[in-house]
Amino acid sequence: MDDCLSSDEDYYYSDRDSLDGLENEEADFQCAPPKGPSTKVITKESLLSAQKEDLRKVMDMLSLREHHARTLLIYYRWDAERLLAVLVEKGKACLFAEAGVKVVEHQDLDSPSFPTITCDICMEDLPSEETTRVDCGHCFCNNCWTEHFIVKINEGQSRRIRCMAHKCNAICDEAVIRNLVNKRHPDMAEKFDRFLLESYIEDNKRVKWCPSTPHCGNAIRIEDDEFCEVECSCGLQFCFSCLSEAHSPCSCVMWELWAKKCRDESETVNWITAHTKACPKCHKPVEKNGGCNLVSCICGQAFCWLCGGATGRDHTWSSITGHSCGRFKAEREKKSERAKRDHYRYMHYYNRYRAHIDSFKQESKLKETIQERVSVTEERDSRLRDFSWVNNGLSRLFRSRRVLSFSYPFAFYMFGDELFKDEMTQEEREIKQHLFEDQQQQLEANVEKLSKFLEEPFDQYGEDKVMEIRMQVINLSVITDTLCQKLYDCIENDLLASLQFGSHNIAPYKSKGIERASELTTCWKANNSDKYLPSDCGASGGTAEFDQPSGSGSSDESGCPLRKRARKDGLGGGLFDLNLPAEVVDRN
Amino acid sequence: MIDFARVQKELQECSRDIEASGIRVSPKSDNLGCLIGTIPGPIGTPYEGGTFQIDISLPDGYPFEPPKMQFATKVWHPNISSQSGAICLDILKDQWSPALTLKTALLSVQALLSAPEPDDPQDAVVAQQYLRDYQTFIGTARYWTETFAKASSLGVEEKVQKLAEMGFPEALVRSTLEAVGGDENLALEKLCSG
Ligand SMILES: [Zn+2]
Ligand SMILES: [Zn+2]
Ligand SMILES: [Zn+2]
Ligand SMILES: [Zn+2]
Ligand SMILES: [Zn+2]
Ligand SMILES: [Zn+2]
Ligand SMILES: [Zn+2]
Repeated sequence: MDDCLSSDEDYYYSDRDSLDGLENEEADFQCAPPKGPSTKVITKESLLSAQKEDLRKVMDMLSLREHHARTLLIYYRWDAERLLAVLVEKGKACLFAEAGVKVVEHQDLDSPSFPTITCDICMEDLPSEETTRVDCGHCFCNNCWTEHFIVKINEGQSRRIRCMAHKCNAICDEAVIRNLVNKRHPDMAEKFDRFLLESYIEDNKRVKWCPSTPHCGNAIRIEDDEFCEVECSCGLQFCFSCLSEAHSPCSCVMWELWAKKCRDESETVNWITAHTKACPKCHKPVEKNGGCNLVSCICGQAFCWLCGGATGRDHTWSSITGHSCGRFKAEREKKSERAKRDHYRYMHYYNRYRAHIDSFKQESKLKETIQERVSVTEERDSRLRDFSWVNNGLSRLFRSRRVLSFSYPFAFYMFGDELFKDEMTQEEREIKQHLFEDQQQQLEANVEKLSKFLEEPFDQYGEDKVMEIRMQVINLSVITDTLCQKLYDCIENDLLASLQFGSHNIAPYKSKGIERASELTTCWKANNSDKYLPSDCGASGGTAEFDQPSGSGSSDESGCPLRKRARKDGLGGGLFDLNLPAEVVDRN
Repeated sequence: MIDFARVQKELQECSRDIEASGIRVSPKSDNLGCLIGTIPGPIGTPYEGGTFQIDISLPDGYPFEPPKMQFATKVWHPNISSQSGAICLDILKDQWSPALTLKTALLSVQALLSAPEPDDPQDAVVAQQYLRDYQTFIGTARYWTETFAKASSLGVEEKVQKLAEMGFPEALVRSTLEAVGGDENLALEKLCSG
């Protein structure tokens, strides 16, 4: 089963290739185009501005200085929505105290500044200009602060360096840290800055490094639902939640188990142990082919199938002369039966999973053939001009194949004992399995039909026949798309939603395939000295495949009957949109 | 590098109010990185009347890193290992602040003796006894105090120092003291006789 992995690889890449150049597909019979990609690629270059963008919003919202905003955001894992929810629920004071933010309303100017201050750490008297007072009001000498910061940076705690005073929860001002550390160890200051910057990725639940190897250097930021599939600008498609290849409608847990199962040779080993036994003389595996329990090896040795012990040849149906075992007979038989049954069940699902992947590979080759057929027909006939239906049909076929193949490992776990043994009664399970298989078979039948029509050598047909095929392909494309959506709905609403133990989530069905994340670019406005306008340049050109003027907002999904999925439209609720310029947020 | 100037100041400061606090810190040798702390058992606890010695070693980053402390005197307490003397106390770990001192740390250790936290135990056996059979725990703790923390008003290090000052080689003093079970007078007898 070694080839399982490498061919998955092929499968995956060819899928991506097949998506190229399909921007305009299906626009004629699909619902209103969805909004531009909500996922963003954060490159090394845009990391700083991506972070600043989020900081800016919190700074504006709460009228805070940058380091306070950062402290808050790091504490709340860069989840500005949660931060604001806590603000509303518990109030500013509590929000700040928990995160270790101390905002000094006004520096106590009336307190006389003594010429010398005793540092409680080194216990020296020092001129006050050699000491630093931080926001919480605690004051120590610069040497001691520097030592403290360096110890903490080395401990990897750059993101939350607390004040030196005992039981003071305040987080130190990053500017103070940078400044003091830089004087003695510029390299440490750099390290500190890098830690702060990478916190935006590492502590952020909406951002993850792209799992490509070798690493492309990018991170992906998602909008609101971590259960989604994304495509990095490096071309890698992956499940944002578990970072493995895109696998919906399988849940992450199911996919992990399945991939492992396919890798594991133990399945094969189990099969061999269930079906063969080593000869006690020459140790070759011997398969049992007759009904009785005496088996003989090609070396001539006869032995008992049940215990593996060497015997003579004289035997009846139920016993071997001069040999008595049978002690573990029942148990062994049961065990081997079970292993056999489990293996057959696995093979049933695996074969179908595999079959769709194989078909997919076959069909990928069709792409070129079809291009040839299109050009032949184009030259021959002037009346038939628009061949987008072939390409659209083909990419629909690829996507549906993908859904179909992943629906088998899903079914393997959904209706098996491994994960959901106690979730439902045998009866419930049968009903559900029936419901599911019904839909799966419908989809399968239509996908095969679509495949059949796409393989027709239409370049050799007359115009009427081509028109007929066109109709069929367009029809079947719509049907398979609808059926895929229905299958996802069934999985999500009828099957996974009713689980009591453990939760399984799947990425939503994307009629147009996995969206490629757009580059996140924030542009500085030259004239605004301290304010910059982040704007999603990705939506105004470049790679965006599903272009939509940003901010139009009218192209919501209401026009589409298939998208009944009730995902939390959190941002629509208007709390806070990380992808809107601060000004827009302010206006709301 | 340990801030020896600060350690020196801490020692002075500590000896200044030794009468009030009862807490003593003295260097084990010329090296200020290894010290010995002494705390009296808190009144009203099974440790009352005992004198407990604590080995202190200062890491290079002191006071920006916490000092390492370990009971040298055997003690029966849920948060102190009855085997090794290791102490489970937050300020000696992540709650350490450079503004704390050896004296304040030792005061915290003393406070720990008065207020055990069996839910965060260092010694599971002791903690279980504390929770399930409090009376036996008190008895055992008191017995250990009598046996190990009261043998003499002087700690081992002080005995060593005292005998060494009489002119005996320090290594010999240590081994002799060990041989007679820590009894200062017996050790002196032995050393004199030969
Ligand atoms: Zn200082
Ligand atoms: Zn403070
Ligand atoms: Zn990438
Ligand atoms: Zn996943
Ligand atoms: Zn053989
Ligand atoms: Zn036979
Ligand atoms: Zn047998």
